[in-house]
Amino acid sequence: MSQITVNGLSKTFRVPEREGGLRAAVGSLFRRRYKQVVAVDQVAFAVQPGEIVGFLGPNGAGKTTTLKMLSGLLHPSAGSAEVMGFVPWRRQPEYLRRISMLMGQRTQLHWDLPAMDSFLVHAAVYGLEPGTFRQTLEELVELLELGAVLRKQVRTLSLGERMKCEICAALLHRPAVLFLDEPTIGVDITMQARIRAFVAEYNRRFGATIILTSHYMADVTALCRRIILIDHGKILFDGPLPALAARLAPYKVITIDLTRDLDGFDFAALGDVLSRDERKVTLRVAKESAAAVTTRLLAELPVLDLTIADPPIEDVIERMYRSSPAVPPPAGVGR
Amino acid sequence: MNRLAVSFGAFLRVAVAHMLQYRAEIALWALWGVVSPAVLMAVWSAAAASASRPGSIAGRSTGELMAYFFMTMIVGHMATAWDVYEMGWLVRTGRMSPRLLKPILPIWESLADNLAYKLVTLVILIPIWTVIAVLVRPTFHTSLRDAAIAAVALLMSAALSFVWGYCVGCAAFFLTKMDAVAELWFGFNMFFGGRLAPIGLLPWPLGHVAAVLPCRWIVAFPSELMAGQLSARDAWTGLLWQAAWLVAGIAIFRVVWGRGVRRYSAVGA
Repeated sequence: MSQITVNGLSKTFRVPEREGGLRAAVGSLFRRRYKQVVAVDQVAFAVQPGEIVGFLGPNGAGKTTTLKMLSGLLHPSAGSAEVMGFVPWRRQPEYLRRISMLMGQRTQLHWDLPAMDSFLVHAAVYGLEPGTFRQTLEELVELLELGAVLRKQVRTLSLGERMKCEICAALLHRPAVLFLDEPTIGVDITMQARIRAFVAEYNRRFGATIILTSHYMADVTALCRRIILIDHGKILFDGPLPALAARLAPYKVITIDLTRDLDGFDFAALGDVLSRDERKVTLRVAKESAAAVTTRLLAELPVLDLTIADPPIEDVIERMYRSSPAVPPPAGVGR
Repeated sequence: MNRLAVSFGAFLRVAVAHMLQYRAEIALWALWGVVSPAVLMAVWSAAAASASRPGSIAGRSTGELMAYFFMTMIVGHMATAWDVYEMGWLVRTGRMSPRLLKPILPIWESLADNLAYKLVTLVILIPIWTVIAVLVRPTFHTSLRDAAIAAVALLMSAALSFVWGYCVGCAAFFLTKMDAVAELWFGFNMFFGGRLAPIGLLPWPLGHVAAVLPCRWIVAFPSELMAGQLSARDAWTGLLWQAAWLVAGIAIFRVVWGRGVRRYSAVGA
């Protein structure tokens, strides 16, 4: 049985708009124009207990708006959703006690006080037993290496330290469903890796269901077996990560090492030349012609080594963000 | 209920810790609360001295006027509420989101902040109030009965001010900017709350307007009661008005909060 079920979920914002300049400003005083912005448009998906789902899309695609609706922050304009049997926007305390939403760009900690003060408030608000609170806190402090920062004012912490404290606060009550909105934004690579490892460990130990948005592909590839791709408020893809690559990037990357330099050979006739470095050439060729190109390269050139690979997922997503291709709705949508 | 009490206790502790973190700022805010009534005491004292019957305005002696304004200083402090300003900021910047994600109504956290401020600043204000009382020589006609009713009225005043301030603050969900609303609410409370002049001295029809607003029951009524300037009948009637306005405020809060949260767009968060 699905832990999260979303059907036809939509959110439309009414935003004022006008041309630039003083005349338009004066005009808007008497006749204000509004525009309906569809942030999320008929979104449908389901998430099973314990799944980690990557919710991807360019800026303004509707990812965060969807997460805000699922966490009860926003009321939808249309559609329905259930998380663990609760309708999120009814905001029942029993529901809010079982979820957590971590917003990378918004702090839930008391800025002017040591993080420990925020954790104590958290324990009281979520009704944690003192023993359970102490045990969970000790575990989180150890896993996130927080010992040295608990007594420092939050505003004096580095971004990485603060993010670890945010994660600690978000997990103190051991939520069954976790919405992570850009949890690694702005932190350095080492800290990103540590946070990723921690999220994976939390999912493994407690079987938590996690929906994650991130612009860092390393987060997605490390944590998410399933991707939901959203753009202009609509779901473009819902399925396994490799299937996304196959759908969005129907080409292969062929790399050859040559035994000697070849100046006259026209590699561009075989495919896009991604790089050429003395005796090493990398080509991008259409998937259906990869076999023929490989055969020709081996037959006509002094090849020392040859590799054929799928394009890196980072490139696939980056291309998708740049071009926003109209990917046909996959079978997985609306499960 | 137990969970609410535990949560409120935790909010209160952290709010006190926050106040103690910025001692100078809190002390200055507290002093600011003294400045306005102190200036008004000087103005009304001067006005009474130069009145046609020196030492009295509209049947009130200088000492009685000083007692009234001295009590507005104390009541004004107990009725301090800044949520009209803060709600505007929280909603406009999206900082309301983390509060909405907690399994407790955000109003409890605001109430704890409010209470913490009042408790912490009493340490600074009580000596200042004592010095002012010695300097202005107020004339009190307060009986034991008045004092007992006034204690209840003071608590009701603090509750009324907070609840109505929060109700007005909920307009932040419907308006983009709240600064003007906040200033208007502040102005209403100054004028119709009897902080600038006793309600009985307001010209027609302003006194009648004040009678149908909650502001009067927040400052003017408890101040007059504590100065011993009300009859027993007026005291009990006033308490009933306070209770009625408080019930109305709580009912309005429940409606506007529910509708406001539905409209919340969580900007930037």
